Amino acid sequence: MASRASRYARYLPQEKLEISLFPFLSIFLCVMGVLSFINILSSVSTPQKIELTMELEQGYKVAFQVFTLPDGVISVPPINRLLALQQVVDEESRSLLAMIILRRQRVIDEVKYAQADPALVARPPNVEDISLWLYEMRQVNEMALRVNFLYEEFMLFGIYPNGGEAYQKVRSVMSRSGDARSISIGLEPLDANWSLSLHNQGAK
Amino acid sequence: MKNLINIDSLTDIVSNSVGILIIFAVINLIHDNNKTYELEIPIEHETDLRPLYIISKDDRLLILNTEQVFINAAQEAGKGAANNKRIFDLGYQGLFAQIDEKKGISFHARGTDDWPKFTELQKPGSELQKQLQAIDPQQYFAYFFVYDETNPGSTSGSGFESFREARKYLQGRQVKSGWKPVNSDFPPSICDLSYSNECQYLPSFLGSDAAAKSS
Repeated sequence: MASRASRYARYLPQEKLEISLFPFLSIFLCVMGVLSFINILSSVSTPQKIELTMELEQGYKVAFQVFTLPDGVISVPPINRLLALQQVVDEESRSLLAMIILRRQRVIDEVKYAQADPALVARPPNVEDISLWLYEMRQVNEMALRVNFLYEEFMLFGIYPNGGEAYQKVRSVMSRSGDARSISIGLEPLDANWSLSLHNQGAK
Repeated sequence: MKNLINIDSLTDIVSNSVGILIIFAVINLIHDNNKTYELEIPIEHETDLRPLYIISKDDRLLILNTEQVFINAAQEAGKGAANNKRIFDLGYQGLFAQIDEKKGISFHARGTDDWPKFTELQKPGSELQKQLQAIDPQQYFAYFFVYDETNPGSTSGSGFESFREARKYLQGRQVKSGWKPVNSDFPPSICDLSYSNECQYLPSFLGSDAAAKSS
């Protein structure tokens, strides 16, 4: 009897362990869809990052950056090399430079704080602010010249779309200012999706 | 035929695609984090070169023939069209003009359809290329009036891209360039420095020029 049963079992079709691949396929397709979506989204909408963080320099010329937006202007003054300049100037200039550094650091902190939405720190161009920038730049440039320190600040405008009006106002103030006569100027167009990134900016 | 499209091969293809997409996503992420735009650092400077005015709007460029512009403006002014700072049709490339003692002659670019697109700079022998190639770098520099107004759906000023491309093209030909943003409230204008300090048209040194020379 047993031998008959075993003989019968030998001829039974072997049952395969079959795993359905449908769930895997479904998961893979979902992942693929999500990844494709993310890839397309990132290539289309990710703003181009612009490294405006470090002090922009052209040889010994260092940029005092002014970004003009439809809502106003944002200033990003340079600081880093002022600390080196501070070491070589006389006592009187040193204290003036300390004040300038302190004020500039405050401006940078303010911009950093509102970095998520730079428009928040944009202020309508104000004659007093612009005059102060120009006065400080001239003072710093003259100090550097007196001690033969290779350093010169110039004003670099980053012009965002519809930021031309603010630029014209700043230039109009500059055209009437005696301090601005010795200051070099540069300007560059920026697209609206070019974001400002201000980490590492500030006194070191 | 039935065996060709079985679920094993489909799963294989899809899983491979997912793998590739993951690699793309990672590369994108790394690339984006490291991508920095080399901001051009232009610095304006005095020059003996004469400016050649170019209007950049709606991704198009118009190289102004100042002689023709002034002849047309004088004719219209003679007819009284320019009285009381009235805006009149200049009869030149869709430009309207306004004459003011302090601002000189201002241009209002209303129809730009006839102006060449900046993409023509890529086409060898195009009219735009010929016009820019005709600029003598020993005598002239290009001065751009660049419209900063945005067109719907764009993140850039309507003249920004064309200006950048034209500047790059001219830089390759050693032609210096300068620019200023303009819009309908602050239209492009040509005036004399003796009237106002704002009537200054200067070319710029470009940071990339200096980098190219030093390398």
